[in-house]
Amino acid sequence: MKNIETIHKLAEDALSSIEGIKRATVKPFLLTRIHARINKQTESLWEKAGRIISRPVVAFAGLCLIILINAAVIVSKNSSAQASVAEQTTQAPTDEFSYTVATIYDYDNNQP
Amino acid sequence: MNQPELIAQLQQGNEQAFTKLVDDWQDMVYNTALGIVQNEEDADDITQEVFIQAYQSISSFKGDSKISTWLYRITVSKALDHEKRKKRKKRFGFVQSLLGSGDEEHIHPVLFNHPGVELEKKEKARELFNALKRIPEKQRIAFTLHKLEGLSYQEVAEIMNTTLYAVESLIGRAKANLKKELIKYYGTLKDPK
Repeated sequence: MKNIETIHKLAEDALSSIEGIKRATVKPFLLTRIHARINKQTESLWEKAGRIISRPVVAFAGLCLIILINAAVIVSKNSSAQASVAEQTTQAPTDEFSYTVATIYDYDNNQP
Repeated sequence: MNQPELIAQLQQGNEQAFTKLVDDWQDMVYNTALGIVQNEEDADDITQEVFIQAYQSISSFKGDSKISTWLYRITVSKALDHEKRKKRKKRFGFVQSLLGSGDEEHIHPVLFNHPGVELEKKEKARELFNALKRIPEKQRIAFTLHKLEGLSYQEVAEIMNTTLYAVESLIGRAKANLKKELIKYYGTLKDPK
Protein backbone atom coordinates (compact mmCIF):
# COMPACT_ATOMS: atom_id res chain seq x y z
CA MET A 1 0.00 0.00 0.00
CA LYS A 2 2.82 2.28 0.96
CA ASN A 3 4.45 1.49 -2.34
CA ILE A 4 1.39 2.67 -4.30
CA GLU A 5 1.36 5.89 -2.31
CA THR A 6 5.07 6.38 -3.01
CA ILE A 7 4.53 5.79 -6.71
CA HIS A 8 1.70 8.36 -6.82
CA LYS A 9 3.82 10.83 -4.89
CA LEU A 10 6.73 10.34 -7.31
CA ALA A 11 4.44 10.85 -10.30
CA GLU A 12 3.07 14.06 -8.77
CA ASP A 13 6.61 15.29 -8.05
CA ALA A 14 7.66 14.56 -11.62
CA LEU A 15 4.61 16.42 -12.94
CA SER A 16 5.44 19.49 -10.89
CA SER A 17 9.18 19.32 -11.64
CA ILE A 18 8.88 21.76 -14.54
CA GLU A 19 7.09 24.42 -12.47
CA GLY A 20 9.19 27.57 -12.67
CA ILE A 21 11.27 26.22 -15.56
CA LYS A 22 13.49 28.81 -17.22
CA ARG A 23 13.46 29.38 -20.95
CA ALA A 24 16.32 27.66 -22.78
CA THR A 25 18.50 30.03 -24.78
CA VAL A 26 19.80 29.49 -28.27
CA LYS A 27 23.52 29.17 -29.03
CA PRO A 28 25.23 32.45 -30.06
CA PHE A 29 25.53 33.65 -33.69
CA LEU A 30 22.17 32.28 -34.79
CA LEU A 31 21.75 35.09 -37.32
CA THR A 32 25.09 34.23 -38.97
CA ARG A 33 24.03 30.59 -39.23
CA ILE A 34 20.67 31.59 -40.72
CA HIS A 35 22.35 33.80 -43.34
CA ALA A 36 24.80 31.02 -44.22
CA ARG A 37 21.89 28.64 -44.68
CA ILE A 38 19.90 31.10 -46.83
CA ASN A 39 22.95 31.54 -49.10
CA LYS A 40 23.41 27.78 -49.30
CA GLN A 41 19.79 27.37 -50.33
CA THR A 42 20.23 29.26 -53.61
CA GLU A 43 19.96 26.21 -55.82
CA SER A 44 20.81 25.76 -59.49
CA LEU A 45 18.22 25.49 -62.28
CA TRP A 46 18.70 21.72 -62.49
CA GLU A 47 18.26 21.31 -58.73
CA LYS A 48 15.05 23.35 -58.92
CA ALA A 49 13.78 21.27 -61.85
CA GLY A 50 14.65 18.06 -60.03
CA ARG A 51 12.84 19.21 -56.90
CA ILE A 52 9.70 20.10 -58.90
CA ILE A 53 9.72 16.84 -60.86
CA SER A 54 10.22 14.76 -57.73
CA ARG A 55 7.03 16.15 -56.15
CA PRO A 56 4.51 13.30 -55.94
CA VAL A 57 1.75 15.29 -57.67
CA VAL A 58 3.98 16.29 -60.57
CA ALA A 59 5.51 12.81 -60.89
CA PHE A 60 2.06 11.19 -60.86
CA ALA A 61 0.65 13.68 -63.39
CA GLY A 62 3.67 13.09 -65.63
CA LEU A 63 3.21 9.33 -65.43
CA CYS A 64 -0.50 9.67 -66.28
CA LEU A 65 0.39 11.90 -69.24
CA ILE A 66 2.89 9.35 -70.57
CA ILE A 67 0.33 6.53 -70.19
CA LEU A 68 -2.32 8.67 -71.96
CA ILE A 69 0.03 9.50 -74.84
CA ASN A 70 0.93 5.82 -75.21
CA ALA A 71 -2.74 4.81 -75.15
CA ALA A 72 -3.59 7.46 -77.74
CA VAL A 73 -0.77 6.27 -80.04
CA ILE A 74 -1.88 2.60 -79.71
CA VAL A 75 -5.54 3.48 -80.38
CA SER A 76 -4.68 5.61 -83.42
CA LYS A 77 -2.37 2.89 -84.77
CA ASN A 78 -5.11 0.28 -84.37
CA SER A 79 -7.72 2.40 -86.11
CA SER A 80 -5.40 3.20 -89.02
CA ALA A 81 -4.52 -0.50 -89.33
CA GLN A 82 -8.23 -1.37 -89.40
CA ALA A 83 -8.83 1.31 -92.04
CA SER A 84 -6.08 -0.08 -94.27
CA VAL A 85 -7.46 -3.62 -93.89
CA ALA A 86 -10.91 -2.34 -94.85
CA GLU A 87 -9.41 -0.51 -97.82
CA GLN A 88 -7.57 -3.64 -98.89
CA THR A 89 -10.76 -5.72 -98.71
CA THR A 90 -12.66 -3.22 -100.89
CA GLN A 91 -9.73 -2.88 -103.29
CA ALA A 92 -9.28 -6.64 -103.76
CA PRO A 93 -12.52 -7.36 -105.83
CA THR A 94 -11.88 -4.22 -107.84
CA ASP A 95 -8.49 -5.58 -108.81
CA GLU A 96 -9.99 -9.01 -109.40
CA PHE A 97 -12.59 -7.76 -111.90
CA SER A 98 -10.48 -5.04 -113.42
CA TYR A 99 -10.71 -4.77 -117.20
CA THR A 100 -7.33 -3.19 -117.39
CA VAL A 101 -4.82 -5.65 -118.66
CA ALA A 102 -1.34 -4.85 -117.66
CA THR A 103 1.27 -6.29 -119.95
CA ILE A 104 4.92 -5.65 -120.31
CA TYR A 105 4.16 -4.08 -123.72
CA ASP A 106 2.37 -1.22 -122.01
CA TYR A 107 5.64 0.14 -120.75
CA ASP A 108 7.49 2.51 -122.95
CA ASN A 109 10.46 1.08 -124.66
CA ASN A 110 13.11 3.58 -123.79
CA GLN A 111 15.90 1.78 -125.53
CA PRO A 112 17.09 3.28 -128.77
CA MET B 1 9.42 49.78 -33.83
CA ASN B 2 5.87 48.48 -33.32
CA GLN B 3 4.51 45.32 -34.93
CA PRO B 4 2.85 46.77 -38.10
CA GLU B 5 6.00 48.80 -38.77
CA LEU B 6 8.20 45.75 -38.29
CA ILE B 7 6.01 43.71 -40.65
CA ALA B 8 6.10 46.48 -43.28
CA GLN B 9 9.89 46.73 -43.00
CA LEU B 10 10.25 42.95 -43.24
CA GLN B 11 8.05 42.87 -46.32
CA GLN B 12 10.30 45.47 -47.92
CA GLY B 13 13.26 43.17 -47.28
CA ASN B 14 14.85 45.36 -44.63
CA GLU B 15 17.85 43.54 -43.17
CA GLN B 16 17.71 45.37 -39.83
CA ALA B 17 14.08 44.38 -39.37
CA PHE B 18 15.00 40.73 -39.93
CA THR B 19 17.83 41.03 -37.39
CA LYS B 20 15.32 42.44 -34.89
CA LEU B 21 12.88 39.62 -35.61
CA VAL B 22 15.58 37.03 -34.90
CA ASP B 23 16.89 38.84 -31.82
CA ASP B 24 13.47 39.28 -30.27
CA TRP B 25 12.05 35.82 -30.87
CA GLN B 26 14.99 33.41 -31.17
CA ASP B 27 14.77 32.08 -27.59
CA MET B 28 11.00 31.69 -27.79
CA VAL B 29 11.30 29.67 -31.01
CA TYR B 30 14.24 27.62 -29.70
CA ASN B 31 12.60 26.81 -26.35
CA THR B 32 9.37 25.70 -28.04
CA ALA B 33 11.21 23.52 -30.54
CA LEU B 34 13.36 22.09 -27.74
CA GLY B 35 10.29 21.17 -25.71
CA ILE B 36 8.84 19.26 -28.66
CA VAL B 37 11.89 17.53 -30.15
CA GLN B 38 13.85 17.21 -26.89
CA ASN B 39 17.24 17.54 -28.56
CA GLU B 40 19.36 20.69 -28.51
CA GLU B 41 20.97 20.28 -31.93
CA ASP B 42 17.64 19.49 -33.59
CA ALA B 43 16.01 22.46 -31.84
CA ASP B 44 18.78 24.74 -33.11
CA ASP B 45 18.26 23.39 -36.61
CA ILE B 46 14.50 23.95 -36.40
CA THR B 47 15.04 27.50 -35.09
CA GLN B 48 17.07 28.28 -38.20
CA GLU B 49 14.42 26.72 -40.45
CA VAL B 50 11.66 28.74 -38.74
CA PHE B 51 13.40 32.07 -39.37
CA ILE B 52 14.24 31.11 -42.95
CA GLN B 53 10.58 30.29 -43.58
CA ALA B 54 9.54 33.54 -41.87
CA TYR B 55 12.00 35.43 -44.10
CA GLN B 56 10.69 33.73 -47.24
CA SER B 57 6.98 33.93 -46.47
CA ILE B 58 6.70 37.32 -44.76
CA SER B 59 5.09 38.73 -47.93
CA SER B 60 2.08 36.45 -47.38
CA PHE B 61 1.74 37.40 -43.70
CA LYS B 62 -1.35 39.61 -43.47
CA GLY B 63 -0.83 40.71 -39.90
CA ASP B 64 -4.17 39.34 -38.67
CA SER B 65 -2.38 37.62 -35.79
CA LYS B 66 0.58 38.59 -33.64
CA ILE B 67 4.08 37.88 -35.01
CA SER B 68 4.72 35.65 -31.99
CA THR B 69 1.59 33.57 -32.75
CA TRP B 70 2.69 33.23 -36.39
CA LEU B 71 6.21 32.18 -35.32
CA TYR B 72 4.84 29.71 -32.77
CA ARG B 73 2.70 28.11 -35.50
CA ILE B 74 5.68 27.76 -37.85
CA THR B 75 7.79 26.35 -34.99
CA VAL B 76 5.22 23.73 -33.98
CA SER B 77 4.70 22.68 -37.58
CA LYS B 78 8.46 22.46 -38.28
CA ALA B 79 9.12 20.56 -35.04
CA LEU B 80 6.39 18.03 -35.81
CA ASP B 81 7.70 17.59 -39.37
CA HIS B 82 11.15 17.05 -37.94
CA GLU B 83 9.83 14.40 -35.54
CA LYS B 84 8.08 12.56 -38.37
CA ARG B 85 11.30 12.56 -40.40
CA LYS B 86 13.21 11.28 -37.38
CA LYS B 87 10.68 8.51 -36.76
CA ARG B 88 11.03 7.37 -40.38
CA LYS B 89 14.82 7.36 -39.93
CA LYS B 90 14.44 5.42 -36.69
CA ARG B 91 12.33 2.77 -38.42
CA PHE B 92 14.99 2.54 -41.11
CA GLY B 93 17.64 2.33 -38.37
CA PHE B 94 15.76 -0.55 -36.79
CA VAL B 95 15.74 -2.42 -40.10
CA GLN B 96 19.46 -1.65 -40.42
CA SER B 97 20.08 -2.98 -36.91
CA LEU B 98 18.36 -6.23 -37.91
CA LEU B 99 20.77 -6.39 -40.80
CA GLY B 100 23.64 -5.65 -38.42
CA SER B 101 24.51 -2.13 -39.55
CA GLY B 102 22.31 0.02 -37.27
CA ASP B 103 23.23 3.02 -35.19
CA GLU B 104 22.45 2.28 -31.51
CA GLU B 105 21.82 5.93 -30.65
CA HIS B 106 18.98 6.11 -33.18
CA ILE B 107 17.27 3.08 -31.70
CA HIS B 108 17.75 3.85 -27.99
CA PRO B 109 17.81 7.65 -27.68
CA VAL B 110 19.31 9.18 -24.54
CA LEU B 111 17.00 10.84 -21.99
CA PHE B 112 16.57 14.57 -22.35
CA ASN B 113 17.75 17.16 -19.82
CA HIS B 114 16.09 20.56 -20.25
CA PRO B 115 18.68 23.27 -19.45
CA GLY B 116 16.08 25.47 -17.73
CA VAL B 117 15.11 22.96 -15.02
CA GLU B 118 16.44 23.50 -11.49
CA LEU B 119 19.27 21.16 -10.56
CA GLU B 120 17.41 19.26 -7.82
CA LYS B 121 14.46 18.62 -10.13
CA LYS B 122 16.51 17.44 -13.13
CA GLU B 123 15.93 13.73 -12.61
CA LYS B 124 12.17 14.03 -12.16
CA ALA B 125 11.92 16.41 -15.13
CA ARG B 126 13.83 13.90 -17.26
CA GLU B 127 11.21 11.27 -16.50
CA LEU B 128 8.42 13.74 -17.23
CA PHE B 129 9.93 14.62 -20.62
CA ASN B 130 10.26 10.94 -21.37
CA ALA B 131 6.59 10.39 -20.53
CA LEU B 132 5.69 13.41 -22.66
CA LYS B 133 6.88 11.52 -25.74
CA ARG B 134 4.22 8.88 -25.19
CA ILE B 135 1.09 11.05 -25.06
CA PRO B 136 -0.96 12.13 -28.12
CA GLU B 137 0.52 14.89 -30.28
CA LYS B 138 -2.09 17.62 -29.67
CA GLN B 139 -2.01 17.09 -25.91
CA ARG B 140 1.77 17.27 -25.97
CA ILE B 141 1.79 20.53 -27.97
CA ALA B 142 -0.80 22.18 -25.71
CA PHE B 143 1.04 21.04 -22.57
CA THR B 144 4.44 22.18 -23.92
CA LEU B 145 3.18 25.62 -24.94
CA HIS B 146 1.40 26.13 -21.62
CA LYS B 147 4.03 24.73 -19.26
CA LEU B 148 7.35 25.42 -21.00
CA GLU B 149 6.50 28.71 -22.65
CA GLY B 150 4.13 29.83 -19.91
CA LEU B 151 1.40 30.76 -22.38
CA SER B 152 -2.19 31.25 -21.28
CA TYR B 153 -4.93 28.87 -22.49
CA GLN B 154 -6.19 31.66 -24.76
CA GLU B 155 -2.77 32.07 -26.41
CA VAL B 156 -2.41 28.31 -26.83
CA ALA B 157 -5.87 28.24 -28.44
CA GLU B 158 -4.83 30.95 -30.93
CA ILE B 159 -1.63 29.11 -31.86
CA MET B 160 -3.36 25.77 -32.22
CA ASN B 161 -6.28 27.38 -34.05
CA THR B 162 -8.82 25.91 -31.67
CA THR B 163 -11.18 26.94 -28.89
CA LEU B 164 -10.38 27.77 -25.30
CA TYR B 165 -12.52 24.86 -24.15
CA ALA B 166 -10.58 22.45 -26.42
CA VAL B 167 -7.27 23.64 -24.96
CA GLU B 168 -8.55 23.21 -21.38
CA SER B 169 -9.60 19.71 -22.27
CA LEU B 170 -6.30 18.91 -24.05
CA ILE B 171 -4.18 20.07 -21.12
CA GLY B 172 -6.39 18.24 -18.63
CA ARG B 173 -6.07 15.00 -20.61
CA ALA B 174 -2.33 15.58 -21.08
CA LYS B 175 -1.85 15.81 -17.30
CA ALA B 176 -3.94 12.69 -16.69
CA ASN B 177 -2.07 10.71 -19.36
CA LEU B 178 1.30 11.92 -18.10
CA LYS B 179 0.43 10.84 -14.58
CA LYS B 180 -0.65 7.44 -15.89
CA GLU B 181 2.62 7.06 -17.81
CA LEU B 182 4.69 8.13 -14.80
CA ILE B 183 2.86 5.73 -12.48
CA LYS B 184 3.47 2.96 -14.98
CA TYR B 185 7.17 3.90 -15.12
CA TYR B 186 7.65 4.13 -11.33
CA GLY B 187 5.64 0.93 -10.93
CA THR B 188 8.21 -0.97 -12.99
CA LEU B 189 11.10 0.26 -10.83
CA LYS B 190 12.15 -2.19 -8.10
CA ASP B 191 12.93 0.48 -5.55
CA PRO B 192 11.24 3.76 -6.45
CA LYS B 193 12.87 6.68 -4.59
